[in-house]
Amino acid sequence: MMDKVSFTIDGLEVVVDNGTSVLEAALRNNIYIPHLCYHPDLEARGACRLCIVEIGGGELVTSCRMPVESGMVVKTKSPKIEKIIRPVVELLIADHHASCASCPSSSHCELQKLMAHLRIDRRRVRRLRLPKVKAPLDTTNPCFDYDPNKCVLCGICLQTCESIHRVSALYYVGRGYTTRIAFYGDKSRCESCRECVTRCPVGALISRKT
Amino acid sequence: MIKKQYSLTVCQGTGCISGGAEDIFSSLEDEIDRLNLGEGIRIKRTGCHGFCQRGPLVVVDPETSSGLFYSKVAPGDVSDIIQSFLPGGKPVERLFYRDPASSKPIPNYHDIPFYRKQERIVLRNCGHIDPEDIDDYLATGGYQALRKALFEMTPEQIIAEVKQSGLRGLGGAGFPAGRKWEATFRAGGNEKYVICNADEGDPGAFQDRSVLEADPHSVLEGMVIAGYAVGARRGFIYVRAEYPLAVKRLRIAITQARDKGFLGRDILGSGFGFDIEIFRGAGAFVCGESTALVLSIEGKRGMPKPLPRPRTAEVGLWGKPTLLNNVKTFANIPLIIVRGSEWFASRGTETSKGTAIFSLTGKVANCGLIEVPMGTRLREIIFDIGGGVPGGKAFKAVQTGGPSGGCIPASLLDMPVDFDSLTAAGSMMGSGGMVVMDEDTCMVDVARYFLDFTQRESCGQCIPCRVGTKQMFSVLDDITTGQGRPEDIDLLLELGESVAGTSLCALGQTAPNPVLTTIRYFRDEYEAHIHEKRCPAGVCQALVSKTPSLSKREGEGDK
Ligand SMILES: Cc1cc2nc3c(=O)[nH]c(=O)nc-3n(C[C@H](O)[C@H](O)[C@H](O)COP(=O)(O)O)c2cc1C
Ligand code: SF4
Ligand code: FES
Repeated sequence: MMDKVSFTIDGLEVVVDNGTSVLEAALRNNIYIPHLCYHPDLEARGACRLCIVEIGGGELVTSCRMPVESGMVVKTKSPKIEKIIRPVVELLIADHHASCASCPSSSHCELQKLMAHLRIDRRRVRRLRLPKVKAPLDTTNPCFDYDPNKCVLCGICLQTCESIHRVSALYYVGRGYTTRIAFYGDKSRCESCRECVTRCPVGALISRKT
Repeated sequence: MIKKQYSLTVCQGTGCISGGAEDIFSSLEDEIDRLNLGEGIRIKRTGCHGFCQRGPLVVVDPETSSGLFYSKVAPGDVSDIIQSFLPGGKPVERLFYRDPASSKPIPNYHDIPFYRKQERIVLRNCGHIDPEDIDDYLATGGYQALRKALFEMTPEQIIAEVKQSGLRGLGGAGFPAGRKWEATFRAGGNEKYVICNADEGDPGAFQDRSVLEADPHSVLEGMVIAGYAVGARRGFIYVRAEYPLAVKRLRIAITQARDKGFLGRDILGSGFGFDIEIFRGAGAFVCGESTALVLSIEGKRGMPKPLPRPRTAEVGLWGKPTLLNNVKTFANIPLIIVRGSEWFASRGTETSKGTAIFSLTGKVANCGLIEVPMGTRLREIIFDIGGGVPGGKAFKAVQTGGPSGGCIPASLLDMPVDFDSLTAAGSMMGSGGMVVMDEDTCMVDVARYFLDFTQRESCGQCIPCRVGTKQMFSVLDDITTGQGRPEDIDLLLELGESVAGTSLCALGQTAPNPVLTTIRYFRDEYEAHIHEKRCPAGVCQALVSKTPSLSKREGEGDK
């Protein structure tokens, strides 16, 4: 017997299974909350910070890691959320060296979806400093390329490798702005399952057609 | 030959050693041997006195009211120091500390303003005992707290005492120590751990290093008591990779403590067993954050864990309940146990008990490591203990709390220094860094400097911190090089609020502080840089030719 809990999200009364996260409950009820690092197959890491919602008296939490509690009142939109989340998305766009027109992920890209949802204003993005150098493509993996300029470091590829394919061939390297995912080429334990490529929410992992 | 018995202490802290203190110690020893004065003069090595700027330091009879303080001692002074003990000998006046304002010599250790206004609890033994000799620690009452805890107190009583003392963690966040101890005690299971955080990654901070180098046993004793209280049998000290001397002294201390039965399977015959291992840090600033530190000991990449999550006290190292405290938090414990929580809580403010420790640096006459009761006014710290700003310059601001702290202006100098007042002023206690800035400091440049540090040290996992701190740094860099845009101040405020409000861990949450406080208190300097392309303090190179204050200074030099 699965316990059910009911809660309110954006004024809508919803009943879900106990243990469901606020983000999952929202998505299941066709309420979109911005997110990049959440993937239904994986444990929520709370890394991208985009899924922040307001609960109860105004506490801000990442909805992907917040389990629904009975009677909880959730707001996915509020001036408070808007004020802190919009700049994060703008930062990401300013940093995302990409032209959507030529990107193979265009039309199924989570970042595009996010931008449309938030109605990103390009003028505001232009206030930001753009990165001066483009990082080179990492082509060391035998079956796919990695474009660090598009990577949002959601960590989904890493987590997939670790918990879906159970290989752990991918690593974080570096610190700060230059943090990257490393694929370690020939020495890699990668078994070319491409599970990570499938789950990349943007176009940072590109299958090579050999 | 010598009537009286003298004791001569030679500081062997990292600061004094780099000034040649090891040679001075051996020369003094040789000279004592040569003149066959070993009976009358007892010489010993100590850890840091905190006044590294005046080192190498030699103190005669530090425990007595007539103790003499010799500063900036060089090998050439050794023979004169020894001669001074012989009949008819006089103190070596040229080595006396001189008051920076009046140039008056102050011979007595305890009269020096730098020390007079301090209250040393955590630093109680620093500069007084030989850190490599457990007997010296025992002579000051060392390990009595452990005896009392093991034989006269239950774990519950110890936890109650720590709670009542009001002690708050000195690693930065100021979380009540007693509550953490209680949570670890209550957590189930019979495998638990105690971790001492000695990562100290803040640039310029050296409090934890000094305590470990000067008084390692006080930390070990605090940890064993903690182990007994929470039910742990294993402890780790996570020491910053760059602290070889601290590691060396800790190793010696651990071996000596084991030999004397203060560590091991059956401590002092009580049946309680506890041992401590040293873990050398991975070298990243973020590894000082508690969850990242735990991952680092487990051999994984040090990346903070997001909320909501179980507390480290419940699920910590290898998934077991873990008590994690800072070096200074542990060093407080023996005194709280021996003298009681009331004694401890009698100093400090309503919400911050005990003492605060700062590394006082920057444009201040007396730089060094200081300890004052919580609630001491900033003005007393900077002007009485620190001796004010040298060179007749005006005080401009003080930056507290390490790279993520804020800049506090002159108008707030009468503010009491404690956890909550500092936070209210937009800064924080943090690691206890305290950098004094004078009129020649450019506040935009200061903000740029600190953001440069944090943006490099971001672990990279969350977007606002990784990309946001970098962006804020780029904007500040543009402003200081004359490329600021009219909308930049608003942009920085907006980004700052967003990065602080969305980041996963305290690194990102506090990183904007230096920017937000300098805009709050020194907005005019930002405006001068952006709108007039002028650096009022004459620091920013790209704007220097347009800076009247610098040309004025050059003019003065011509006279
Ligand atoms: C980026 C970052 C770095 C930190 N570095 C240290 C450190 O070097 N030493 C330390 O004791 N605490 C550090 N902390 C605080 C720890 O997370 C933790 O709060 C503290 O060690 C707990 O001990 P306490 O309760 O005795 O203060 C850091 C926190 C953050 C977010
Ligand atoms: S705030 Fe910065 S340091 Fe902390 S988890 Fe996020 S990226 Fe890492
Ligand atoms: S989806 Fe919740 S933090 Fe990324």
